[in-house]
Amino acid sequence: MPGFLKEFFNRNGTSMGLAILGLVLFWTIGLIILPQLSMLDFSFRPNLPPPEIGGPKDVYTLENYKYLIYGPEGGSQSYNSVDLRVFFRTLLAAVCVTIFNLILCYPIAYYLGQSKGSHIRIFAIMLIIPYWINEILRAFALRIIFGETGVLNTLFMGLGIWDTPFDFIRNDIALYAGLGYAYILLMIFPMYNVIESLDGNQIEAARDLGAPWWRIHWRVVIPYAKPGISSGCTMVFMLSAGALAAPQILGGPSSLWFTQLIYQQFNDNNDWPQGAAYAIVLLVTCILFVLAMMRLFKVNMGDIGK
Amino acid sequence: MNNSFLRISIWVYLAIFFLYLLGPLVIMSVTAFNSSAFPRMTPWECLTFQWFGELFQDQRILNGIKNSLIIGAGTVVLSVAMGLAGALMLTQIWPKLRATYYTIIIAPILIPGVVLGISTLVFWDRINRMLGLGADSFLSNGIFLTVIGQSTFIASYCMLVLVARLQRYDIALTEAALDLGASHAQAFRKILLPFMRPAIASAAVLAFLASFENYNTTTFTFGEYPTLTIELAQKVRYGITPAISALAFIIVALTVFFALLNEAKLKRQELVAVARKKATVEELAGKIKLPSFFAGNMAAVLLVVFAVATITVVGTATAYNPGQCIANVKEQKRLEAEQRIQELRKQREEQRKKREAEAAEQGDAQQSAPKPSNNSGFGNVFAPNALGGDAEEESSDTETPPSNNGGFGGAFDPNSLQNDQ
Amino acid sequence: MSAGVGVDLENLWIRFGDFVAVRDANVNINGGDFFSFLGPSGCGKTTILRAVSGFLDPSEGKVLIGGKDMRGIGPNKRPTALIFQNLALFPLMKVWENITFSLEIKGASTAERRKRADELLDMIALPGQGDKLPSELSGGQRQRVAIARALCAEPDVLLLDEPLSALDLKLRQHMRTELREIQQRVGITFIYITHDQGEALTMSDNIAVMRAGVIDQIADGKTIYNDPNTAFAASFVGENNVFRGKIKQVMGNEALISTNRSGDLVARISTANQGKLNEGDDAMMFIRPEAFAIAADGATGDHFVTARVNHEEFEGNVFNIFTEGDGGKEIKVSLPNLGQSFEDHTGQNITLEYETRNAVLVPAGELAAE
Repeated sequence: MPGFLKEFFNRNGTSMGLAILGLVLFWTIGLIILPQLSMLDFSFRPNLPPPEIGGPKDVYTLENYKYLIYGPEGGSQSYNSVDLRVFFRTLLAAVCVTIFNLILCYPIAYYLGQSKGSHIRIFAIMLIIPYWINEILRAFALRIIFGETGVLNTLFMGLGIWDTPFDFIRNDIALYAGLGYAYILLMIFPMYNVIESLDGNQIEAARDLGAPWWRIHWRVVIPYAKPGISSGCTMVFMLSAGALAAPQILGGPSSLWFTQLIYQQFNDNNDWPQGAAYAIVLLVTCILFVLAMMRLFKVNMGDIGK
Repeated sequence: MNNSFLRISIWVYLAIFFLYLLGPLVIMSVTAFNSSAFPRMTPWECLTFQWFGELFQDQRILNGIKNSLIIGAGTVVLSVAMGLAGALMLTQIWPKLRATYYTIIIAPILIPGVVLGISTLVFWDRINRMLGLGADSFLSNGIFLTVIGQSTFIASYCMLVLVARLQRYDIALTEAALDLGASHAQAFRKILLPFMRPAIASAAVLAFLASFENYNTTTFTFGEYPTLTIELAQKVRYGITPAISALAFIIVALTVFFALLNEAKLKRQELVAVARKKATVEELAGKIKLPSFFAGNMAAVLLVVFAVATITVVGTATAYNPGQCIANVKEQKRLEAEQRIQELRKQREEQRKKREAEAAEQGDAQQSAPKPSNNSGFGNVFAPNALGGDAEEESSDTETPPSNNGGFGGAFDPNSLQNDQ
Repeated sequence: MSAGVGVDLENLWIRFGDFVAVRDANVNINGGDFFSFLGPSGCGKTTILRAVSGFLDPSEGKVLIGGKDMRGIGPNKRPTALIFQNLALFPLMKVWENITFSLEIKGASTAERRKRADELLDMIALPGQGDKLPSELSGGQRQRVAIARALCAEPDVLLLDEPLSALDLKLRQHMRTELREIQQRVGITFIYITHDQGEALTMSDNIAVMRAGVIDQIADGKTIYNDPNTAFAASFVGENNVFRGKIKQVMGNEALISTNRSGDLVARISTANQGKLNEGDDAMMFIRPEAFAIAADGATGDHFVTARVNHEEFEGNVFNIFTEGDGGKEIKVSLPNLGQSFEDHTGQNITLEYETRNAVLVPAGELAAE
């Protein structure tokens, strides 16, 4: 190690080396590792008023985690069915959103990656522009469309397809459309990056050998694009499971998202340790799920983010 | 035949895809110009610019923009600096540590923003307590916490952008500068930084946009400094007005403008580079003939069209007065309402008659109740009823006089403030 | 010319982990010399250059420039300038800014820099090209700009790391003469790294031949060519035919070596190995292709070799004959084309003759890869 450090300072000079090392340490340790550890630690503590923190009552406890599973002590139900249902529903919905996005975005990523011409740049700009618009505003736009007197209801009622307004919001259609909409770019770009580097001759060769188009994709393009697909899916899954704005704006009154529970613990109940415990559960579950999927599809961690 | 079918289906797919992608933004932008008090495209009432005026009178929105700009600037500086340091470290870290290090600095992209916000809040709160500082210390300041929280993951994005360019950097260039007598800091400033400048600019723009639109992390850390996004979320959750559409339209327009500007600039650089390559020594020594700004530059042309359109719209906005149209619509609505009231009254009358008839049959005393035909009074009663009802959707039936802008915006303040707690 | 600043390496060791890149190098480079390190890629010559320019610290031993120990002095404080293998011209700076970068660092004014750039551009025969970008120049022009940039720093020692390797053959040959001319004009010490023996031989005052971190021989070009110290030096510099065998008898500075196919042959022991070779030692004898002559058939003796001809080729200025050899490789014989008629001997035995002074004997050792 000292050898490495010595070389590092030789290469960067003392002042530059210190600046780089300082910033990196501040980021990795001060902003990433310690806050997560601190949150983990916090989640095992009881919710105490500030004066009692560090006092005799400040002991480690599993209570916050128990609460998620069993609910309040002496509660009528043996399980915390409300929160648990929200939790699993969130995960399931995140999976659905991911699959929906994958199906929606694969063709366009392939198209952009494999065709040439100046219109590709225009398409790229058209893809990026919505992403530059505020997430809240994007959700707001969808709410205008899916509202009771929104564009869709007006359109379909005008066409006579149905005659009473359909409640897209209560049926969560708006929510799923909004979540899918929010992360399109994160799905397309990793896939596009990989597919762009695929030699078009491979596809030509496969076509020459008489392979039908679906087989070309199944046997040539998809295996090649696997790192991009997996990093896109990972990001979309993690972000939609952790989404807060879209469920708050587009979710119906009954359809809570797990992040909304966390938000409530923090802001409404003022129970930070409980919120931290929920956040830990969400984080750990999502990571384990992604790791399991990566093992299932044989993908490396190093491919993510490329 | 198969081929043309495939081609058509590709175009249909592309059309649907971009409709999904851009349609909501277009519709939202259009609603900013409809005088309907609820943002919607149909029924179209009147072309109006009143929502823009309303937007610029909303102190909370303006304050949110100010906070967003301050936080955005802080986040850009911190995350680009950390991202660059992180990228430099990645290119020269001890190989055995590389994979672990990469996992750590890429992880914030995947950690849900909610979790980052909470961990930032909890961690700095603890530091604050350890240092024995009060609740009003610098470390629990909303701006500080938000910049720190956002930078945690925005720096990862910056790092990815920067490392892509850094990988094409030839370390021999820095060595050459050192060899020619430059200090490490000079080599960094004069050689590496200029090389990285395009990537740093991209990273800075990305960081600013990410910071500006961030909600999940900021919602836990903003303290007493709500950003524009936070304010928007409050407004959208507790009542939506076309003033938000107006804001969205401005943001969309600015985005399109800068995208076109950037594209035009890139294209021009390309053309200039080609021209330089072709130029002979004499031409280079003197002046080389550069292609005119618009030649072969679609984006530049679009940019001009865009600018002209903007000027036209603004010009119309200052000259145009939708008062008459709004009055017409109001009148029409009043008539409709009256009609509905009449019908209602008729129904009631009939019911009453029926009942009276039944009563008369039973030989009860007759009772005549004169109904006051005060339409405006009825209308006033009607409005609160609608507001009290379920969705804001129906609030569009409420006539909001254009003069009452401040009041309308203010009506939501107490609600949202309560929620801040 | 002797006014130049010399460079000395004393017991220099450079290790990367367990790998030894440079093993106990001792070199004295005189001020004003054109000195080359010649060796195959990966032999450690670039490592030596980086140690001299200050990019890495020796593990042991010293680098002295002008008699002063350079340990702990960074590359930006050393009186050296390095020309990188890929030139490392700053891509975003114009040619004149590149050339005068060292002046910019010293805080010179733009006018001053412009003036100096013009002088140097004249010197490298690129007048008026200062406003181009490096990417707008040809390979040879870039080469010259890199030299001008290094010279602008007014170094005492110019270090060149295979600067010609990216050029095509013609340009490379032209640049050799040009580099040598520049060196003689500015009169400073040049240290040149190359794997091309032609470059080293044509330009250098002295050459160090390197193999796997070890310096085999330091001498001027003629000595290295005619009197190599080791089997590696003999086989790496120029074409050479090798004969393996055991020393049968040492006779002063000559020796008799017994080979498997060609019997006993006489050779001159190379200067560095005189007195060190003993009877019974494994040895290698080297004879250059041009040192052979065709002898009358059936001639025998200790300076005749008889072998079967595998094939022949006509190269214009020379006629090459390839016969079965002793060292596992073919023997190549080059006869100058002086208008004589060449017989085709393919498949026949021919007898070759050489003079003892042209046969060099060294201890058996590793040969250079083809």
